[in-house]
Amino acid sequence: MARNLGFLVLFLSLSLCEAAIFRPITDSHRSAALEIFAPVDRSYISLEETYEALRTFQVLGIKKAADINKETCSIVVEKLGPSSSSPKDLFYALRVNSILKCNINVDNFEVITSKLQAVVKDANSLIDLYYSIGSLALIKDEDAGSNVHLGDADGIFHSIKALSQSDGRWRYSSSGAESSTFAAGLALEALAGVVLLASSEVDQSMIGTVKNDIMKLFDSLERYNDGAFYFDEKLEHQGPLSATASVVRGVTAFAAVTSGSLNLPGDKIVGLANFFLGIGVPGTAKDLFDQIDSLACLENNRFFIPLIFSLPASVHSLTTRDRLKVKVNTVLGSNSPPLTVKLVKAFSSGSKETPIVENKELKFDPESSIHSLDILPKTVDVGKYIFVFEVVLHDPEHKKIYATEGQYQVPMFFTGVIKINSAEIVVLDSDLGSIETKQKLDLSGETDVSLSANHLQKLRLSFLLTTPLGHVFKPHQVVLKLRHETKVEHIFVVGNSGKQFEIVLDFLSLVEKFYYLSGRYDIQLTVGDAAMENSFLKALGHVELDLPEPPEKATRPPPQRVDPCSRYGSKQEITHIFRAPEKHPPKELAFTFLGLTVLPFIGFLIGLLCLRVNLKNFPTSAVSSTFAVLFHVGITSVLLLYLLFWLKLDLFTTLKALGFLGAFLLFVGHRTLSHLASASAKLKSS
Amino acid sequence: MAKLWIFVTLVSLLPFLGSSFSSENPTDRRILVLLDDFAIKSSHSIFFKSLQTRGFELDFKLADDPKLSLQRYGQYLYDGLILFSPTIERFGGSVDLAAVLDFVDSGHDLIVAADASASDLIRDIATECGVEFDEDPAAMVIDHTSYAVSKTEGDHTLIASDGFIQSDVILGSKIIEVPVLFQGVGHTLNPTNNLVLKVLAASPSAYSVNPKSKLSTPPSLTGSAISLVSVVQARNNARILISGSLALFSNQLFRSGVEKAGSSTKFEKSGNEQFVTELSKWVFHERGHLKAVNVRHNKVGETGEPAIYRINDDLEYSVEIYEWSGTSWVPYIADDVQVQFYMMSPYVLKTLSTDQKGRYFTSFKVPDVYGVFQFKVEYQRLGYTSLSLSKQIPVRPFKHNEYERFITTAFPYYGSSFSMMAGFFIFTITYLYNK
Repeated sequence: MARNLGFLVLFLSLSLCEAAIFRPITDSHRSAALEIFAPVDRSYISLEETYEALRTFQVLGIKKAADINKETCSIVVEKLGPSSSSPKDLFYALRVNSILKCNINVDNFEVITSKLQAVVKDANSLIDLYYSIGSLALIKDEDAGSNVHLGDADGIFHSIKALSQSDGRWRYSSSGAESSTFAAGLALEALAGVVLLASSEVDQSMIGTVKNDIMKLFDSLERYNDGAFYFDEKLEHQGPLSATASVVRGVTAFAAVTSGSLNLPGDKIVGLANFFLGIGVPGTAKDLFDQIDSLACLENNRFFIPLIFSLPASVHSLTTRDRLKVKVNTVLGSNSPPLTVKLVKAFSSGSKETPIVENKELKFDPESSIHSLDILPKTVDVGKYIFVFEVVLHDPEHKKIYATEGQYQVPMFFTGVIKINSAEIVVLDSDLGSIETKQKLDLSGETDVSLSANHLQKLRLSFLLTTPLGHVFKPHQVVLKLRHETKVEHIFVVGNSGKQFEIVLDFLSLVEKFYYLSGRYDIQLTVGDAAMENSFLKALGHVELDLPEPPEKATRPPPQRVDPCSRYGSKQEITHIFRAPEKHPPKELAFTFLGLTVLPFIGFLIGLLCLRVNLKNFPTSAVSSTFAVLFHVGITSVLLLYLLFWLKLDLFTTLKALGFLGAFLLFVGHRTLSHLASASAKLKSS
Repeated sequence: MAKLWIFVTLVSLLPFLGSSFSSENPTDRRILVLLDDFAIKSSHSIFFKSLQTRGFELDFKLADDPKLSLQRYGQYLYDGLILFSPTIERFGGSVDLAAVLDFVDSGHDLIVAADASASDLIRDIATECGVEFDEDPAAMVIDHTSYAVSKTEGDHTLIASDGFIQSDVILGSKIIEVPVLFQGVGHTLNPTNNLVLKVLAASPSAYSVNPKSKLSTPPSLTGSAISLVSVVQARNNARILISGSLALFSNQLFRSGVEKAGSSTKFEKSGNEQFVTELSKWVFHERGHLKAVNVRHNKVGETGEPAIYRINDDLEYSVEIYEWSGTSWVPYIADDVQVQFYMMSPYVLKTLSTDQKGRYFTSFKVPDVYGVFQFKVEYQRLGYTSLSLSKQIPVRPFKHNEYERFITTAFPYYGSSFSMMAGFFIFTITYLYNK
């Protein structure tokens, strides 16, 4: 699988064959370091982190406040005190001390030394060996008077070497099967410590085999397309950055203590430097430390010191006539040894064969340490060029110390203002080619043309583009866009015929493409290029098109995307329209008629009075008169029940009451009526 | 022994149960990050660190790791997936296109970052989400009028874009003032898919072509139809972020300054960090996740919820809506929550008033149509999870005794019958006892 660093894809976009430009460490690293290594509550979580912070600050030349140092020192003194600490703690405490120079009790070193020596003897894991040997080396460094040495240096050297694999990588312990590049770096550092601490000379043949291992390790270097080299790590928890950093530290340490050259290829060292610089500014403390610490190792080592070639700018404006500047620095940004930068050749990216400049030396300004090209050749016009530079060291001895990449291919952009001339838009008659309407355009200012055409006519747009030197300029993007009212867009690339850019839209052949949509089309012209400083997008106006009616089977215009925001938002409120209440006549009318309904009753009463009704037939005997009264009371109550039914009762209660009343009424009615009947029968018989 | 075994299993499952995505705690917790290369972990570390400090557990894996799997025993191991592997042709392990889509279909969130020369697999995932990348694998978005001015990049593929979507919930309430740097491939949105939204749009002068080839045919993607970053909110509220640029998330673009072509203001730091951080908050449900509780309705003047309403009743409806803030549920404040009283179609649609403490309420009269109605709240707003509440309630007509009893108009009829009754009473007496 071709693995690409995401961030390197940025560089790849320039060109796959051209080497990318890497920049040395800058102030952005310093500010990032201060941000990332900001202590929490004026102290760091662990001594390891403290060391990483201090080391990064030291390399970047940042002075930190003393109060943190004081607190850190107290921790260091405690760790190096009589209480027993693990080799790892001791190691980092000593490392922090080597930077801070705390006032520690040297007397205690003897105890620590003997303890560490015991650890070294028994240790069989690489980590233990690394920490304890590292600590011993630091003690030796710290206390010159002490007599720290390893008795059986060859044996320890052997036991570390025994963990190495045939491909140059190391295992963490004899029982572990997995080999790791990260471990290789640790092992090389430990071996360097052994050589340093050895009481007698370490066997040179052993050192030779280790050098061989380093060579093998460098054979496994992987390469990015932009010329950066890195060590890949197969074990999961380590990334390529920490593995590469570990190896660089190890190799530097080993090279520092052994005599003779390591024979490492210079281009790979530059590639490693490119890898660390290509990361930019890492976001985590560990990554930043790895980057800065390994760059510091590369800055000062005994094999090759990489020189970084960088351009402050690769985009130049012809209007301001910037000078072409080149910088050559070490990875940390310090000045290079005396050297000359040569412009081997420069050619336009389109035509490789015809270089515009050849073999020119850049002028060096010692004050700003910038190599600059004074006068750009007159023939340089706007556009993209490839410049090929070469770095030549003055002192031939330096070639053994410093590594450069040799030739640098750099893409350069020269930008300028493009002149736009004789722009015009014309509506032509199709058959004769005679000009119907013609309008001049001012493409540098505002234009608002309004044209109208039918499907038998043509539209022609033409203009001229010239570079500051008067050549014809062909931009990358010359696009005409017609947009119908319904947002259907049609895009045309404006071609150029020799000098002039021209597009002819024959509407007859475009009718189908335009979906037979008549109406107003907005015209938009976009002219843009990387080298054009006045790229523009301009609405030219509109053309009113009169196209024929679509036939049956004409394709419909594609659906246009509706604005999603219109889908959201609240809907219109809906209120229910209630049924209108029935229309009633006015109250007064009802009451009038109510009054009228009483009139017949009154008439009836008057009639009765006129007839002179009497109640002489009312029974006289006590029993029958009681029944008669009860009968009429019964009738009254039934009628009242009806009134109640109207007023409040429901049908069921009424019927129930009516049942009882009815039975009662039947009984008393029967008695009353039979009494009356017998009375009248008596009267008749008598 | 068996009991002990069950106990051990349960205890070992506890951390999973405690930290995973739930409706009570809708923010994602465990996120799988698939990388092309572990170097991306360090080159994009600011983005990852901001996720970690917000409490996410990131699990970094190589995309071709043979041990890769999204689920085990039918349970998903992760709540979110970040695909920072634009070149991967085939995922390792059991993960493939279908597995990723299933992961989203079960309500999990996804961030996909493509790049120029993105693989077919990444394109297929995007296509399934309604986003189509430019078919030309070498194409990049170029913009000659709103590029980021740079001394070192001359081909105008590094775009300074400020075509943000107008949505507080997606991009945070703080307006992003600095343009966002983008370098990568553009995409268009499927016009028929209305779940996908353009978050960062290209300027009208942008076009998407291979920068190294000559432009002979019209570019397939041009102008503001090009979307640089899009988001999708699926119907199950799973959220997807699709970016045409992996570099958008990188430390380098987070830190670099911006000067947009044609503008004189130079910003110290690009808007990428704010843009990406706010967008990731949205994607991982730290914002814009709504829940509705305590849906109540009752007759005016009563408190209990009736089993049935009568036509023309006055009723009150209330619902409480809360938004997840990443750590707790806070009252959601808006003025456009609407309730529908719905039977086949809405009979009443009313905007709810709010007390600014998350409670929304209104009152209205039941329509004079009887049948089985529903109280419906269909709340769909840009960027928010959709709320869809419905509660069924029958509505009956008047009982026979609930009609008006004393209609004035009918008084003449009543009057005549009662006068007739009175006449009848008198008539019975006179008729029986007259002599």
